[in-house]
Amino acid sequence: MNMFMQISTLVKTSKSVIFTGHSIGGTTASLAALWLLSYLQSNFENLSVLCITYGSPLLGNETLSRAILRERWGGKFCHVVSKYDLMPRILFAPLDTIGPHIKLLLKFWHLYMTSPHCGPLDVQRNEEFMAEIFQFVLSHLRGLVEAGEEAVTGMFRPFGNYLFCSGDGAICVDNAAAVIKMMYLLLKTGSPSCSIEDHLKYGDYVGRISSQFLEKKSFMLGELPESRYEAGVALALQSLGISSQEPVAGPAGDCLQAARRMGRTPNLNCANLAIKLSKINPYRAEIEWYKAWCDRSDDQMGYYDSFKQRGASKRVSKVNMNRHKLARFWDNVINLFESNQLPHDFQRHRKWVYASHFYKLLVEPLDIAEYYRAGMHRSKGNYINHGRERRYQIFDRWWKGRNVRDEDNRRSTFASLTQDTCFWAKVEEARGLLDDVRSTRDQRHSALLWEKIDFFARHAKKLVEAKEVSIDVVAKNSSYSLWLIDYNEMKLQMLQFRPQFPSFMNGEIVP
Amino acid sequence: MGTVKLGENMVIKEEVIKKACSMAMDAHKSPEKQYLSKKIKTSSSEVVFSFPGSWSVNDWFTGTSFGETKVDLQLFPSLKYIGLDVTATVNEAFLNEFKALLANPLFKNEVGKAAADRRQIVFTGHSSGGAIAILATIWFLEVHIRQSSNRIAPLCLTFGSPLVGDSIINLALRRENWSSYFVNFVMRCDILPQISLSPLSSIKQQLQQVLDYFNQKAQQPPNEAPAFYETVVKNASSVANYAACKIMGSTNPLLETISSFIELSPYRPLGTCVFCTGNGKLVVSNNPDAVLQVLYHASQLSTEEANTKMTVAQTSLRDHLSYGNDLQEYLRMSVVTCLHQHHPEALPLSLNVANAERERVDEALNDLGLSERARLCIHAAEALEKQRLRNQATIDEKQKDIKKCLDKLEAYKRKCALKVGYYDAFKRSEEKEDFHANVERYELAGIWDEIIEMLKRNELPGEFEGRKEWIDLGTRYRRIVEPLDIANYYRHLMNENTGPYMEKGRPRRYRCTQRWREHAERLPHEVPGSCFWAEVEELCIKTGFQGIKESISHLNTKVKTWIKDEELGDDVLLENSTFMKLQKQHS
Repeated sequence: MNMFMQISTLVKTSKSVIFTGHSIGGTTASLAALWLLSYLQSNFENLSVLCITYGSPLLGNETLSRAILRERWGGKFCHVVSKYDLMPRILFAPLDTIGPHIKLLLKFWHLYMTSPHCGPLDVQRNEEFMAEIFQFVLSHLRGLVEAGEEAVTGMFRPFGNYLFCSGDGAICVDNAAAVIKMMYLLLKTGSPSCSIEDHLKYGDYVGRISSQFLEKKSFMLGELPESRYEAGVALALQSLGISSQEPVAGPAGDCLQAARRMGRTPNLNCANLAIKLSKINPYRAEIEWYKAWCDRSDDQMGYYDSFKQRGASKRVSKVNMNRHKLARFWDNVINLFESNQLPHDFQRHRKWVYASHFYKLLVEPLDIAEYYRAGMHRSKGNYINHGRERRYQIFDRWWKGRNVRDEDNRRSTFASLTQDTCFWAKVEEARGLLDDVRSTRDQRHSALLWEKIDFFARHAKKLVEAKEVSIDVVAKNSSYSLWLIDYNEMKLQMLQFRPQFPSFMNGEIVP
Repeated sequence: MGTVKLGENMVIKEEVIKKACSMAMDAHKSPEKQYLSKKIKTSSSEVVFSFPGSWSVNDWFTGTSFGETKVDLQLFPSLKYIGLDVTATVNEAFLNEFKALLANPLFKNEVGKAAADRRQIVFTGHSSGGAIAILATIWFLEVHIRQSSNRIAPLCLTFGSPLVGDSIINLALRRENWSSYFVNFVMRCDILPQISLSPLSSIKQQLQQVLDYFNQKAQQPPNEAPAFYETVVKNASSVANYAACKIMGSTNPLLETISSFIELSPYRPLGTCVFCTGNGKLVVSNNPDAVLQVLYHASQLSTEEANTKMTVAQTSLRDHLSYGNDLQEYLRMSVVTCLHQHHPEALPLSLNVANAERERVDEALNDLGLSERARLCIHAAEALEKQRLRNQATIDEKQKDIKKCLDKLEAYKRKCALKVGYYDAFKRSEEKEDFHANVERYELAGIWDEIIEMLKRNELPGEFEGRKEWIDLGTRYRRIVEPLDIANYYRHLMNENTGPYMEKGRPRRYRCTQRWREHAERLPHEVPGSCFWAEVEELCIKTGFQGIKESISHLNTKVKTWIKDEELGDDVLLENSTFMKLQKQHS
């Protein structure tokens, strides 16, 4: 609670927060950062957060690692890991077998940090134990690397960026599989004693790296590959203190190449999407055109009901096809977004926030119509909780996340699209509720149902009065208009027969 | 008479450089004068104006962390990223110094007279005098070249000048085709050009001591020289490394996080930079991204040098004063390597393949102290510039598509003029044709938005915004299609969601193309004819407000000029158009 108070004042007074910690403190720092990021996200607040850990043990499993990728928080974590340090690797071995070793190790590190002079003595005394734990971790890491992607379930898994540092520099890797492989390859070149001492040397490493900007490093003549890409990899390995003659250089180079993000860069992807968007916009235009036609047509059913009760016409099947095409496009956008292939602030680009929002306003009513037309609500449950596509929830979040305060504009005529995109699902549910009321004999149950129905009726009334709905909602034969007639009738009946009914107090008839 | 060839199209007379350099150094000797001016020889046509530097920290940095301020657009109307409406940033102290110079009527008169006599004017300066020379040259280009065609283009030669402004200045110079008039000489070890990359707070105290040394108050470089050197190079490394990550397209999200924690200097090189290697060779680059990398990497120390930091740091200061003596030698030898003329493939990383030309380049780069890492960065900078050219070629291809769509919409406009005008027809959208017009509108919006995105991400060459064909096409596009966007906006009552079109809803693609034209034709920035319908719609909403009649008649007079200027079609005057109805209602 205390920390919570402290942080919430911090959020108001500062622009950025850095969490940091060494060893197990690193995991605490990570957790604190994760907590703050979640807090900021749910409160729509903006603050720069960075978490730097030094020699931190692993924190979570693959689910955590994925979640962090999905939330695009990977860039907020920088785990500094020295070339041989055992601590960040130790949890790759199963805990039940290395438990006693860890206890001893922690004791040693603790002793060393509080009184560094008696450290080396301890090392000698425990040489055998050191070799044992080193081999143990190394063999588990090897197993993990050899098993490849399949082996990761249920195990600890890295997340965020790993900055591997050596006396010669540092490299940054953010692909979890590559991190594991680098951990293995680097540890392989080390020895039991240095793997334990390295945990305490972060001060030296960081000091050396931060003075590197002055050093010009050169290669032996002819050592650098001619291709620029390979030269870049060789330079990276040089930073890890691995020369191209060492046997580990080959696999480490392969690992770095594989870690290179596949596909095009985020900016190119984004530009490409913009082109695709302009290509699919005509489909959207066609649906708009269809909506205008429905709203004008003589049967006065409106957009939603016309589509729900559609017959087999060429035009309407074209609209339905467009609906699918648009869904495919937007699902692809979300897919790219969540796999980190789009710019980090994609969800704040005005263009995309607006485009996704208008797509949602236009097409979600059709999705709802299709859902209830096909009777899916009977098999899967109501639309809002069980049938709503995830993309719409994400677009809701993007729309709320834009830094614009909703101004209180009064509408003079009905909005061109209903602003509450789930409105029709609510109508469908309310209709179901009215049916339930008819069939129930239980008074208490009936009162409960009425409460829900009245809630919706008030909500709908408010929307209609504020003209936040499109004209199709109030069309003479729309589901809503028909429901309203039904509702008012039943309400009247109920009030006549049961004047003692509690909701009489605030019972009003929606015109 | 000797000339120095600094690239394909750039040849400068040796004697001009020599004279400029000696006058730049001379200017320091009479700091009470704001400038010196002299002909190169009594018979020659060039006139050199040189400016003294200043040796007080307050003349180098003002208030904020990097001492930057937005440029004064009254004085330098071209120094902006036009389409996106971003004003360039300059060093405030230098700008003030220049303004003081401009307040001197003698200077203006003398420059004006030389220009009227059709002499080539050479602006020059050493150290912070170079910064003044750069600003003076830009001012001259704005006043004398942009506004009249029969003047001789100037030349700006600086020696060990600090950086003056941000990357937008360089973009603007390229757009106006002025970039090649700026040539900056930098000695390999001279640290001064880099100090603009450091925040003032990190170097303030040492800087004054360094400046005192330059001002000959002290015989020896100050003892703090190594610390000063380290601080400056460290800050330069942050800027250069961050830029290198960007250039190489690093997508690591950590970069974005870090950038919100560390404020980096906005200053970037401009024009052409000529590096003197320290042993008689010249290395030339006109790519500011590459120059930034060279500036930093040339200051890195090899293992031997690392042991003699004191010497290196002292040399880094002494070199700042050596232009007067050493440059002559460089000009005499005239061994020039142009980084930008080489295919990146020809820029050697190492000497695996024997080739005489590559050996020569490699040697020059070694003499500049450029490591393999540095060369990779320069490669990347060159490759990025090539990518920009390719991007430009791609969108040039799209001109065809744009024209085709515009032709269709013009046909639509003509057809609608038979009834009610295309604005009203589109707003009602009752016919199939209206739907098709909407599709064309979407298609065009897609292409233009893409161009705007590219501008935003700086993916097009600096020259792009100055190209007449695009400015004209943009104007045509804006005139035909913007009314449809307005119709769509008010048809869907978006004004009630977001506010009036002009304030809240106007897409960037129209604001951008409008500014292109206004800049190219030097027009004032005002509401254009393509936004006419938005004004009409707002007036329709305000029916009954006071002064509406005056507003309508005011609009009416504007309409006449717009129709005359072809900003607007005469279909707005059709009987049943919204505009005519509005007029009738209030007549």
